[in-house]
Amino acid sequence: MSKKLTRRTMLQAGMATSGAALLSGLPASRLFAQEPEKPKEIIVRAWGGEWVEALKKGVSDPFTAMTGIAVRHDLTEDNEIQPKLWAAVAQKRMPPIHVNWDTTTNATKSALRGVTEDLSDLSNLKNTTELAKPVGLDGYPIVNTYGYVYVLAYRPEAFPDGAPTSWKDLLNPKLKGRIALYNDGIGFHFPAQVAGGGKLSDIPDNMEACWDFVRQIKAQEPLLGEDPDFTNWFQNGEIDAACTISTNALAAKKNGIDLAWTVPVEGCKFDTDGLWVPKGLPENELYWAKQYVNFALTKEAQQVWLDGLGLPGVVPGLTPPAGLEADPSYPTTPEDFEHLIRISAKVQVQNESDWFARFKEIMQG
Amino acid sequence: MTTDPDNSDFRYPLRWRLMDGAERLLEIVWPRRFGRFTGWLLLLPALLLVGILVLGLWQMAESSLHVLDRNTFLPSEEYTLSNYGTIWQSATYFKVIWRSVQGAVWTVVFTLLLAFPFAYVLVRTPRAWVRKLLLIALFLPFFIGQVVRAYGILIVLGTSGAVNDVFGLIGVGPYRLLFNFPAVVFGLVQYMLPFAVLMLAPALTSIPQETETAASSLGANWLRSMRHVVLPMAKPGIVGASLVVMTLSLTDFAMPAMLGGGSQDFIANAIYDQFFRTADQGLGSALALLLVALGSVLVAVIIGLFGAGTLGMGEKK
Amino acid sequence: MISATQRRVFWGLVWFSILVLSLPTIIVLGASVTSGNMIAFPPEGFSLKWYEKIALARDIRGAFGRSLIVAFVCLVISVPVGTFAGIALTRYRLRFTSLIQIYLLLPFTIPLIGSGIGMMLVFGNWGILGHVWPVGLACAVINLPFIIWSVSSSAAVLDSDLELAAANCGAGRIETFLHVTLPGVMPGVITGGLLMFVLAMTEFLVSLLLTDARTVTLPVQIYNNIRSIITPDLAAISSVFVVVALIAVWLLDKLVGLEIFLKSK
Repeated sequence: MSKKLTRRTMLQAGMATSGAALLSGLPASRLFAQEPEKPKEIIVRAWGGEWVEALKKGVSDPFTAMTGIAVRHDLTEDNEIQPKLWAAVAQKRMPPIHVNWDTTTNATKSALRGVTEDLSDLSNLKNTTELAKPVGLDGYPIVNTYGYVYVLAYRPEAFPDGAPTSWKDLLNPKLKGRIALYNDGIGFHFPAQVAGGGKLSDIPDNMEACWDFVRQIKAQEPLLGEDPDFTNWFQNGEIDAACTISTNALAAKKNGIDLAWTVPVEGCKFDTDGLWVPKGLPENELYWAKQYVNFALTKEAQQVWLDGLGLPGVVPGLTPPAGLEADPSYPTTPEDFEHLIRISAKVQVQNESDWFARFKEIMQG
Repeated sequence: MTTDPDNSDFRYPLRWRLMDGAERLLEIVWPRRFGRFTGWLLLLPALLLVGILVLGLWQMAESSLHVLDRNTFLPSEEYTLSNYGTIWQSATYFKVIWRSVQGAVWTVVFTLLLAFPFAYVLVRTPRAWVRKLLLIALFLPFFIGQVVRAYGILIVLGTSGAVNDVFGLIGVGPYRLLFNFPAVVFGLVQYMLPFAVLMLAPALTSIPQETETAASSLGANWLRSMRHVVLPMAKPGIVGASLVVMTLSLTDFAMPAMLGGGSQDFIANAIYDQFFRTADQGLGSALALLLVALGSVLVAVIIGLFGAGTLGMGEKK
Repeated sequence: MISATQRRVFWGLVWFSILVLSLPTIIVLGASVTSGNMIAFPPEGFSLKWYEKIALARDIRGAFGRSLIVAFVCLVISVPVGTFAGIALTRYRLRFTSLIQIYLLLPFTIPLIGSGIGMMLVFGNWGILGHVWPVGLACAVINLPFIIWSVSSSAAVLDSDLELAAANCGAGRIETFLHVTLPGVMPGVITGGLLMFVLAMTEFLVSLLLTDARTVTLPVQIYNNIRSIITPDLAAISSVFVVVALIAVWLLDKLVGLEIFLKSK
């Protein structure tokens, strides 16, 4: 018998394999009688580099081993696949992917637009923490799979007097032209609201404090970029500090850059990424796409996948990767979450364009 | 065709007969009296091909008339001009549009400044190997693509890059050479230079060298013979190159995105943001249509002032 | 060149251009043989491991093959269309030429993102998305002005008396076209064709919207990789491109001579 097990022999081999987690929620009779025809492959959108490597190792490869369905990764950016998916659904074409790995904010837009399949019948949802449930949406049009923090990442050599403790430390004249933010300001708005003397409860109605602080930061001539830029800029010595998600800082550190990160007193934005399945798939492919998402919620899959990313998952009992125990970018306990700012995805998507326009208006000036 | 009874097995070569057949077929399908429409017939495939873009523009025009409903992320039912109103009232977009126009103009100026001598040397050099080397230097960057080339520029001009290393040797710097407006223009010039040279070279080839020699033997120094003899004769090439360089830099996306450090957006970047970041296709479409209008007006002005140069077309006879 | 000053000024500018054009290429070539994990110049040590990596990557080979198809389709569509259009614009008297120019420059005045979104919707309606050839068609559309101008700049210097003479000698219209007009514009067709091929090989923004995971082309693959983090294997891919380019240029020189880009007749 070759290494490739059929599903049936695998089931006979015992439910102790990780396959058990995938299938356990389904009544056995239904499984054997009605399991829809398997497609040759499914396509999962993922971010490139270490992101897709982690997904492949933790979720895709085991899924293939278990079901015999190959997984192909589409590396189109999340916001670039969005119009493709929307156009496909609007034109009643088959979408170009089966599963979308997406930011919760972006996914919420797709959910509101009604292009996502309902995932609330996934069997493994019952084992997840409340983090898996999207805030402000009915049911599970998307499933959150892990959280992440927009930390203040910095080069220790640029801060000889110790780690920065406040976002206001970025206003130090020494750092002029040496700091970086996301080019839409994402991750920075909420801490800026606090740093500018405002209240989080005033979001989204009164954010003048945030814009005041952004204007002060503008005088520091920050660089504005996207995920890969931060890693490149730290590598090439262009910047000393940045508001970026911890994974980018971790990647630069793995490449040998001396980097550290912290959660300043004003707090950091906490957000989630998730998986969802677009509408318009044939019945059988939809079934297997949902099984992929279901499998991604097992403890085994989460442990390997998220070790690769260095991020906290949505099932209890995961072991933090080495070096990230008690790290501020890996929150697990309620105390860890005290300094983290979480705003519902719905409030975010409904106001994001305005925040974005305001941020641009200040920065492009 | 007459058949000679003594030579009945004589046949014209196959090629001739095929050609005759083709000519006769053409006479049936497209008789000579249609002659004055032949130009249009030849142009038709190109018009149709570009027509695909016009269909796309039509779709965009439609969606620019709907605003985005942020509760459903669907376009509104009713038609409205409010996307255009949003652009009109926004200081940011005005700034970005103005920056794009300035960027395009500077890029045209610097590109021509470099491309003209390059094309001139290319055409005039008597040595074949020099010409080949120049052509290779021109063609190789094409094969690398814009994004990787921009990345190369990031490394060369970076704070710890090659240029700053040279500055370090003479004891100055390091300077921040990237992430500002000049860096974007530099990237665009680097990107456009080969196009411009390729457009200028044929125009320069058609200027007989004797004309220049004559001018200088009449006592003109080289600057004056350039200005009064070469430049006017090369005008079609210069105009053609300007049109191409201007329109391509006006709509460029990659260079401002990679070399501008996020604060030097051109219109294409603003359009990208609307389409891909805030999912507002209506506003993105409105911006795109404005950019097309702006570009077309600029093209019309240049053609009106100087003719269409080597792009065009139809000026002779 | 006549005076020494002119020579100095011109060669100074030419050297600057060569530097500006070549330096990023050289850096990328150099970075591809690094033994480190980052693109850096000078490279850290020497190793061919990144070439080994791309040689073994099946998806990259597949994407490269599809890019060749795209470039070929683009060539097949754009060369006849562009040649006819270039000839039409220079050899025939047409009305509304300014409007035609503005229309034919639409591929350049429409931002590529707009063209991409527009063609995604149009091709989606036609039901042809998911194939590779529409990407080639799209590349032919967005770069069409390049081949039109290179043909028309060749045709503009062609003496129309030659065509008249051929016709007077009894040559038919097709014969005149094949033996007089076409050879006359050949330099433009070759320059334009080469440009179209290369630009289709390296186009990423429009292709991004028209491809999916099964039809992804090499530049889209590279672009998507750059978005996460740029590693030396991308430099290695670019270097392969450069080598391919050098071979192509060498072949072209052997077959027709590079001078063809400059000859007008």
